[in-house]
Amino acid sequence: MSSIYLNISFAAYFLALVLYAIGLFFASRKVSGLARSFLICGIIGLSIYIGTRWYTAARPPFSNMFESLVTFSWAIASVSLFVDLKYKIKSVSVLVTLMALLALGYASLLDKGIEPLLPALKSNWLTIHVITCFIGYAALTVAFVSSLVLICKKKESAVLDDISYKMISFGFLFLTLGIISGAVWANSAWGTYWSWDPKETWSLITWFIYATYLHTRLRKGWKGKKAAWLSVAGFLAMLFTYFGVNYLLSGLHSYA
Amino acid sequence: MSLKKTRFWRFFSSIRLAIWLFVIIAGMALIGTLIPQNQEPAFYAERYGRYGHEFLARTGLSGVYSAWWFILSLILFSLNLAVCLCNRFSLKARSLGSTLSHLSVLVIMMGALVGTLYGQKGFIKISEGEEISSFMSLRGHIINLGFSIKLDDFIYTEHIDPKESLSIYSAQKDADCCDQHAPGETCDEEGAPGAGKNHGPIARIPMKIGEEFDIAATGQKIEILRYVPDFVMDDSTKQASTRSAMPNNPAIEVELKGGEGKGHKFWVFARFPNAHGEVDKDLKFIYNWAGRRPEDFISKVTVFKDGGAVMKKDIRVNGPLKFGGFAFFQSSYDSESLKWSGLQVVRDPGVPVVYAGFILLISGLMTIFYVNPLMKRR
Repeated sequence: MSSIYLNISFAAYFLALVLYAIGLFFASRKVSGLARSFLICGIIGLSIYIGTRWYTAARPPFSNMFESLVTFSWAIASVSLFVDLKYKIKSVSVLVTLMALLALGYASLLDKGIEPLLPALKSNWLTIHVITCFIGYAALTVAFVSSLVLICKKKESAVLDDISYKMISFGFLFLTLGIISGAVWANSAWGTYWSWDPKETWSLITWFIYATYLHTRLRKGWKGKKAAWLSVAGFLAMLFTYFGVNYLLSGLHSYA
Repeated sequence: MSLKKTRFWRFFSSIRLAIWLFVIIAGMALIGTLIPQNQEPAFYAERYGRYGHEFLARTGLSGVYSAWWFILSLILFSLNLAVCLCNRFSLKARSLGSTLSHLSVLVIMMGALVGTLYGQKGFIKISEGEEISSFMSLRGHIINLGFSIKLDDFIYTEHIDPKESLSIYSAQKDADCCDQHAPGETCDEEGAPGAGKNHGPIARIPMKIGEEFDIAATGQKIEILRYVPDFVMDDSTKQASTRSAMPNNPAIEVELKGGEGKGHKFWVFARFPNAHGEVDKDLKFIYNWAGRRPEDFISKVTVFKDGGAVMKKDIRVNGPLKFGGFAFFQSSYDSESLKWSGLQVVRDPGVPVVYAGFILLISGLMTIFYVNPLMKRR
């Protein structure tokens, strides 16, 4: 299968990153507009890549680390585009585009071969589970970036705080949907909706950290940097759920 | 004194307790992912030493999720949730999302409790032709199904990579291609050591059992008769068979037919390319085994009730048999001779409760994050 669309997206993300970075120093509408167009090109390129891969493989392309990273990169860029259009915070756009580029760069190092689906993955839940998880992951990544920028700034920033909160609300909902769809799927494949597998457990730990964020914020009024640190902690747990569990721990969820 | 004024109530209604419990439960769960859970004692003794093993067993760290302190923290968590719910419960639209999402977590925990108390779970190993009407639960009770299931056939199929094939080389040219390869590796013509472009195979037969192919260069015909993943030959009977379903020594039996149709049968080994001896002094055979992936595990079963067959079903991964309140899941198989199938048997009356909790949770979160802000804006 041709990976030309993957390369096009990679280039487009890279150009978007460079232009967003230039935009940090020159207040030019044209530059950030152009950056946005490249980001859109990248998203379209990845959509075509995922679509053709789906068609070629005759199954949803969500079955291993490579395929999930492509999905992740697609989701980060899509959420990023939304945040860029709504808030226009250049530093956030630069870093989020960098995250999308990193995910795609990492994917390009992995084997792109199309393998047939393992019996455990042959289910309609596969698409629902992966899409909800990665939309959630992408939103939480954007929240992490805006929290990080907030922490690095000398002054508190209400906008960055608002981006973090909005993205965590959205990400938490999708993380919940991801965990629930996983549980329902596990119950239909193995007869147990929860078995304390490391992947499940770490997704629950991540969920608890973001639940802490939401409770401290909504009930105790935590905002700004204090809350931002929780968002960073949640993101680290999310990263461990995604990568750490696969590379460092063993369990049922050995696909990605 | 009303219950709401007691210290008990105040303790359990605090948001601080909730946050601490989040941290504590997450921390305990984390420990459980670092120490392998519920393994055999010998495993811990080997990995952590005798004292380490004893320590883990005493503290419950080798079974965190069923340890008393973990269960206790879940009970405290539920109490905390329940008290908070009572305290803040109101029918105002504003707090609907909060009420729903918190209630949902309690409902999910209730469902899990129902499953633990009234559910049954077990594992059956059923051989082909065998009929089973009861099973042993994980707690050691014999559970009668009230019907019986019989395994008619267990089928395991594999994906065959299009690269898997039989290459035929002319013996005059150096063709000991796979010699230098480690077990499990396969060779392709271009990559064969010492084999340049001129040393390519004279024929390449696709992995299709029972189909005859022509070797154009010699005018002979060739057919792959059968495949075994783990070749073994009985010393006394000289009968070839497979030791297991694992690809430890993949081999194919091949029949080479001369121009007059006279057959010559022999075995070609993926891992031992020179082991087929001299079949035809001019030809050399290389079995390019490409690594197979499981395609399907299917247990074909019949359900009998009151003496008659009532249902036939192919149980596969992601496709359980549901009958009489029990569900049967494809869970393991006989990797040696494919003669038995391992089925997980489950009856969990808590599942509908848990699923109801899931729906409440999703609607609650959507209400908090999206419906409430919309209403506020108006």
